[in-house]
Amino acid sequence: MTPKGVTLKSNSRKMKFARRFICTLLQMRKPRPVSLSIEEVRARGQRIKIAAYWSMAHAVGSRRAWSRALLFKLRNRARYQTIMRRRSPGLKTKRVIKNDTPGELSQTKKLRQLVPGGKTMDMCNLLEETAHYITCLATQVKVMQTLADNFSK
Amino acid sequence: MTVLERQRARAKWQQQEQQSYFGGSEFGGLFLEPSQAVQGNFQGLVGGVDSVLGEVAAVLVKPDLSLESGLPEFGRFELSNMGFGSDALINGSTTGFHINSPTSMTSGCPPTVAAVAPEERGKVSVPAEKKSSVAGRESFKKRKADKVQNTKVGAEEDTKDKKSKVSAEEGESKITTEQTSTKNNSSATNNRETSADTSKENSKASEVQKPDYIHVRARRGQATDSHSLAERVRREKISERMKYLQDLVPGCNKITGKAGMLDEIINYVQSLQRQVEFLSMKLAAVNPRLDFNIEDFFSKELFPACSTGFPTTGMSSEMTNPAYLQFNPVQQLVSCCGLEMGMNTPDMAFRRTMSAPLSLPETYLDTSYITQLQPSSTWDADLQNLLNLEFHQGRSTSYASQQLTGSIEASNLKMEI
Repeated sequence: MTPKGVTLKSNSRKMKFARRFICTLLQMRKPRPVSLSIEEVRARGQRIKIAAYWSMAHAVGSRRAWSRALLFKLRNRARYQTIMRRRSPGLKTKRVIKNDTPGELSQTKKLRQLVPGGKTMDMCNLLEETAHYITCLATQVKVMQTLADNFSK
Repeated sequence: MTVLERQRARAKWQQQEQQSYFGGSEFGGLFLEPSQAVQGNFQGLVGGVDSVLGEVAAVLVKPDLSLESGLPEFGRFELSNMGFGSDALINGSTTGFHINSPTSMTSGCPPTVAAVAPEERGKVSVPAEKKSSVAGRESFKKRKADKVQNTKVGAEEDTKDKKSKVSAEEGESKITTEQTSTKNNSSATNNRETSADTSKENSKASEVQKPDYIHVRARRGQATDSHSLAERVRREKISERMKYLQDLVPGCNKITGKAGMLDEIINYVQSLQRQVEFLSMKLAAVNPRLDFNIEDFFSKELFPACSTGFPTTGMSSEMTNPAYLQFNPVQQLVSCCGLEMGMNTPDMAFRRTMSAPLSLPETYLDTSYITQLQPSSTWDADLQNLLNLEFHQGRSTSYASQQLTGSIEASNLKMEI
């Protein structure tokens, strides 16, 4: 039994992701005076990374639990950041959801941390989401690699 | 009833065979004393076993290897211990036992449902099977071991397990007779595994009894085992997903076991995420030079089917496109065809993204213009340093290094060309 048609729409997903990602990149293009300081590059790299994940999650849509969780997290982070900037910077709360099922391996816990939205999934769904997540990550890497190759030449 | 007579005759024959085969083993001992009482308790035992095996009759036709292997053994010990003579159960390895076994069982007890033809088939096969069944008892186990795909069930099935299984079955069907108790004791003492194992085997045996189908309705006397049924279904789902993941993650063919596979999966996901981070850093470094190249790239890479006069063929591979890019001067592309495509689609995409809910951080919402600038493709020293920094940072995985070296080599090739 082939899990859930993961390979069916990979091409369109790649296109969707690439399109969105490039648009985001274009949006992020800074005006001419470009500083090549390491910190700025790093900050921009961080933003590009978030843009990549966001565009990937959007390309997948709401069909997958991990994409929904990722979009939710990004939205919350954006909202959180704006709110936190207005308020005092000392209000940092961290919610820890401990979902301890008996007989769970440590690797399972680690996998839950890696896959977005994996904390509230049972093992069965977690594995399925991991498989889909891996395919999407692979396409993301491929597209970004091609982009990077192109733009660096 | 002729059927009963036949069965009893078979039982006696079997008895004799097994006595001669095993000599003074406990099997013979077991045989001697219950041989008479078995007949007396025939109905009770049959009823008990029938309730267990009657479920098999309700099973849809899908020969499950584990079932095939499990039940024949069960049936064999039924024969040996209770003198059923339903050798047809042993037949399960060769033919569809699910046809044979219920009939053989039902033939012994007050006839509930007995199809004549299968029964006769079972009986015909009985004489042929008898010798093989008795003589090849040990080899049958080996055969069964080869056949059993379900490792969980097959791992526990031994000669030792059979009696415990049998006793488990009887216990579960709630028929406690002297025979079962004696068998329990003898089986317990007779080089059995620990009680923990037997209890595990009991559950496994009950699982072996049950088919793997979700749409099976509740059985009588087996209501408590719906949990194990669901457990089994869940476990099989998980193992199926693990197999799929094994195909996804490269280099996982030799790894067996959940923990190792999970380790590999975790490593792979982490390496992919690290690659994304690395590439985003790389893009950040290159980004200032992201000029009109983007639009060309965009139009060419993402719309291979568009007939804009590009001499590109299709998106056969991502590497050919960049290679092709190098051959045409960028200005030419820009002037020829990339212009309209490049202008239009990013515009439309822009509008789409702008109309999308503004959930991005504010830094993303800088407006920028599509300007036509000259492409410059020079490696700055800073860029190189940055790349080296990023490359050597963190754990160097085979994936990242392969990709990077591959891309670097490809780019070098392009430079030379």
